[in-house]
Amino acid sequence: MSESKFESISSLVDNYRAPEQSSEQAIDDMLKDEHLSATWQQYHLIGDVIRDEIPQTLQLDLSAKIAEAIADEPSILAPKAVNKASNRQGGFKAKVVQLIKPVGQLAIAASAAGLMILGVQQNTVDTNEVITPSQVVQTKPLAGFANPVSFNYQQNTQSHKQAAIEQRIAQQRRFQALLSDHQQQVKLSAAKSAQPKDTKQSSLEKDE
Amino acid sequence: MKILSLKLPIKLAFLLSIVSACFSFSTLAADAQQAKLSLERLSQSLRQLNFNTSFVVVKNNQAEPYHWLHGVIDVPLNKDANAQKSTADNGQKVELEILALLNGPRRDILRVGNTVSYIEPEYAPYSIASAQISGPIPAIFGRDISVLENNYHFVSVGKSRVLGRAAQLIRIVPKDAHRYGYWLWLDQDSGLLLKLGVITRKGKLLEQIQFTHLEITQTLSENLKQLYVTELPKIIELSAKENSTEFTWQVNWLPDGFKEVKSDRHRMNSSKQAVEFMLFNDGLVDISVYVNPSQDKQRAIEYASDGATLVLNQVVNNIEVSVVGKIPLASAKEIVSSVSFNRLKAN
Repeated sequence: MSESKFESISSLVDNYRAPEQSSEQAIDDMLKDEHLSATWQQYHLIGDVIRDEIPQTLQLDLSAKIAEAIADEPSILAPKAVNKASNRQGGFKAKVVQLIKPVGQLAIAASAAGLMILGVQQNTVDTNEVITPSQVVQTKPLAGFANPVSFNYQQNTQSHKQAAIEQRIAQQRRFQALLSDHQQQVKLSAAKSAQPKDTKQSSLEKDE
Repeated sequence: MKILSLKLPIKLAFLLSIVSACFSFSTLAADAQQAKLSLERLSQSLRQLNFNTSFVVVKNNQAEPYHWLHGVIDVPLNKDANAQKSTADNGQKVELEILALLNGPRRDILRVGNTVSYIEPEYAPYSIASAQISGPIPAIFGRDISVLENNYHFVSVGKSRVLGRAAQLIRIVPKDAHRYGYWLWLDQDSGLLLKLGVITRKGKLLEQIQFTHLEITQTLSENLKQLYVTELPKIIELSAKENSTEFTWQVNWLPDGFKEVKSDRHRMNSSKQAVEFMLFNDGLVDISVYVNPSQDKQRAIEYASDGATLVLNQVVNNIEVSVVGKIPLASAKEIVSSVSFNRLKAN
């Protein structure tokens, strides 16, 4: 550790740029070197004490405590989730847990990132609800449609359910297409000329 | 003896109800007059005031927030830059309007006088020649509401507090069971709308619009000033000749007062399905009827609702018939079953 490096940190803390060495260089050095970063921290603390800017209760190493707390957490959260899954939930939920499992085994920093991504996906799903028809239109339950997937479902009914779901999706699409076309036609009907014909709509050939 | 004792209260109740009916009838007439005045004031306020307002459409357990700006600009008689706009408005007062959906992809409606532009994710921006925007609030409220009198009663109900203001509740009650009622809470100061509910005959609220902010200003807002100098998308040419397309089918039953607005053949934007289409309107409510060939042979009636809007369809002999509109299920069913075919269904 050269004396000059401590000096450059000192000048950085004082917001003073050493002429012979760019401050970027000094920062890079400091980030690479644990000892230098500790010096940076100490210099700031000294500066704070001199300027009488220290808080009432001084926590000298907050970041270390946070890191410690973070390191503790995954060992509490993740295994519980796995246990629950293997015991009770079948089918769909198990799949989700399988997805979550590896995430749980990573450090909390990584799982926090995973949560955020899940959250974002959740959000986009939410906003989609406004646009996607299938969510907007609330269908009345119809005869012949399967109930939502239950915990103890059987393999052989799966294809039936699949078909029912597909049928339901097709139905939702139909409804949504009708709904949005209706709204579009109402807009166009407000036009002054009584017969609106959207340029985007190719008119049908007359097949009478 | 038992019968008599039963009959007497019934008779009494009957008499009482007649008496109260007479009373309520006379007050009803007064209420109706008052209600009509309020609605006329609403119409005037919607056209003449500069307002900046936000509202939320609540339906299907979801809330859609909107921002709505309206203003009137005085235009000098000889303004060349906007010749197209000002000729239609006699170069005097031009209404400016912006209605923007705040959640999800952009859906903006802009209006300058007799030009309305729609900016939507599904289409390239386009304009149509119209003096009304078609958004969540029925356009009729800014027009001549007397056209509704044939099919609806206007009833002034009472006062309450909405959006921190004193509000007058006006009910637009359908004369028959084939459509929904509209409840309007109107600001006593400005006459503007504060809340709107679409309500079934049994009093069930299907969807509502709650205003969350209302600001009335003397001067035009900056956004609207900018709108006025903005170049709007090109007006779509709507050919006027195919005024009434002849189909091989017709709708034989509609609730009283619904008139045909237009009929055409077009392809639906999302499904590309070619359809024959008729649109009906009673002043407040639009009903669309679609007829198209289907791959299915038969399909029982299916329906879904989006707030008050019902979508219903069925397939009979490979022909799909659909009805969309803010009408009760029974009305939609009756409309669908009233569609008859001249040749196709000759059997």
